[in-house]
Amino acid sequence: MGLLSIIRKIKRKEKEMRILMVGLDNSGKTTIVLKINGEDTSVISPTLGFNIKTIVYQKYTLNIWDVGGQKTIRSYWRNYFEQTDGLVWVVDSSDLRRLDDCKSELDNLLKEERLSGASLLILANKQDIKGALSPEEIAKVLNLEAMDKTRHWNIVGCSAFTGEGLLEGFDWLVQDIASRIYVLD
Amino acid sequence: MADDDGASSIPNSIPPHPSDSSLQKKHASVIERLANRNQTRLENSITRRSESGSSSSSTTSFLVRFSDSKRAIESDLAQCRLTPPEPSQVRSHLDGISASISDLEKLVAETSYFLPSYEVRASLKSISELKQSLEDLNSELLPKKKFSFKNKGTKKDTKSESKDLGLGNAGSMLTNKQQQASYIARDSPGIRDKDGEVLVKNFKGSDVGEFSLSGLSSCEVKLIGSIRALFIHKLRNCKVYTGPVMGSILIDDVEGCTFAMASHQIRIHNAKNSDFYLRVRSRPIIEDSSSVRFAPYCVSYEGIEEDLKDASLGEETGNWENVDDFRWLRAVQSPNWSILAEDERIDTVKISSTAG
Repeated sequence: MGLLSIIRKIKRKEKEMRILMVGLDNSGKTTIVLKINGEDTSVISPTLGFNIKTIVYQKYTLNIWDVGGQKTIRSYWRNYFEQTDGLVWVVDSSDLRRLDDCKSELDNLLKEERLSGASLLILANKQDIKGALSPEEIAKVLNLEAMDKTRHWNIVGCSAFTGEGLLEGFDWLVQDIASRIYVLD
Repeated sequence: MADDDGASSIPNSIPPHPSDSSLQKKHASVIERLANRNQTRLENSITRRSESGSSSSSTTSFLVRFSDSKRAIESDLAQCRLTPPEPSQVRSHLDGISASISDLEKLVAETSYFLPSYEVRASLKSISELKQSLEDLNSELLPKKKFSFKNKGTKKDTKSESKDLGLGNAGSMLTNKQQQASYIARDSPGIRDKDGEVLVKNFKGSDVGEFSLSGLSSCEVKLIGSIRALFIHKLRNCKVYTGPVMGSILIDDVEGCTFAMASHQIRIHNAKNSDFYLRVRSRPIIEDSSSVRFAPYCVSYEGIEEDLKDASLGEETGNWENVDDFRWLRAVQSPNWSILAEDERIDTVKISSTAG
């Protein structure tokens, strides 16, 4: 009867998943969350702080924590790590200049022990913009191959503007978390 | 008007037969009762009004709730430290504490929209302190257990490793090629490293995604037509006038510049002594900037109205003055930015599409 099995028991009852969305500013985190929830995405201000959305997805309840990505508030990300089941790292695939920043912030995040059990979904966003890097190119730049072998991860190209790829990504994430936590029922 | 209110009927209830003493007595008691009721109702409404009048009542009740749970968690932690529970129960105990901390965090999140920002920061700080002490306690009580915990994780993961390999397969085909080279070689469309030039770009009819302006000094840049995203980096003493940007504009490291631009989102980082004439659908933000001034959009070229309308930027939103400063999270005006006085603003910039 370890800690894990207790957490499993509690979560199985509630069918809840805690998802943390992070990434550099201007990557489209809030737009993705609103798009998935079918809300209007035409007026979105840069996130000062964080938003929480509870979304019923398939048979699960997702608590999505969308945390602002401006440099000033990145140091507060760590306040949201506890009990995270799924980590969504959002990349602006058209922002070539800051890919280095993007990589180092992601590397820092993955060192975090409290996130070591979380499934990682990388969304290569803004695929609709001409000139954006493909998910394969993003995977290479972020050197995802070198990731710790125990990590469950996947990279999916998407566009929060058109909605393409979002469900594919979240389907994978939810399935992966479910198979870990609920041991497939 | 018929008024059924008990209190107002008092004047009408003068007994018709004052001679009947028992009836009179009864009347008197009824009147007294009614008066009492009226009195309590008045008192109630006064207290209710004073409650709703003080906007801080909800904040106060939050603070009470917060400090109650905080104290409970702290005493749990202290209890644990003084008399550690049975080794077999340590984990569930710590897990319980961790759950109450995250409940507390949730409470802050739920109430954050009406709390003063100071309270939000203070509560988040105490939460992270609680987490820290939980972590400390965790490593104190479970140094060895932690190891076995990890061990279990790797055991489980041998099973999933094959899956990981499968997932990564698409990427592994690329690993043989050289790292990093790909995105450096691929230059996105843009204007780079110019000095003292007038640069006009017409995007009409062409399908441009993102566009970059970088490393410019003393240049005048005019962009006609709409694009999806604009990146601006390292500009000195430049003037930049653009048509609509349908996605977002990201500005980093500019000094002594003038910008006139329209977009859905605008983020300004490391800007100094610069003026921004904006039309923006959401709130523009600044970070690590100082002496930046804001005014409404003022660009015109042939067909700009249509371009703006197509980009959902046809109407002035007034957001050009709703600037959020991420370095100044307080209710009082940030010292880093100001509204540009009307008599200091430039005239509308007319771009002729034939120029340049």
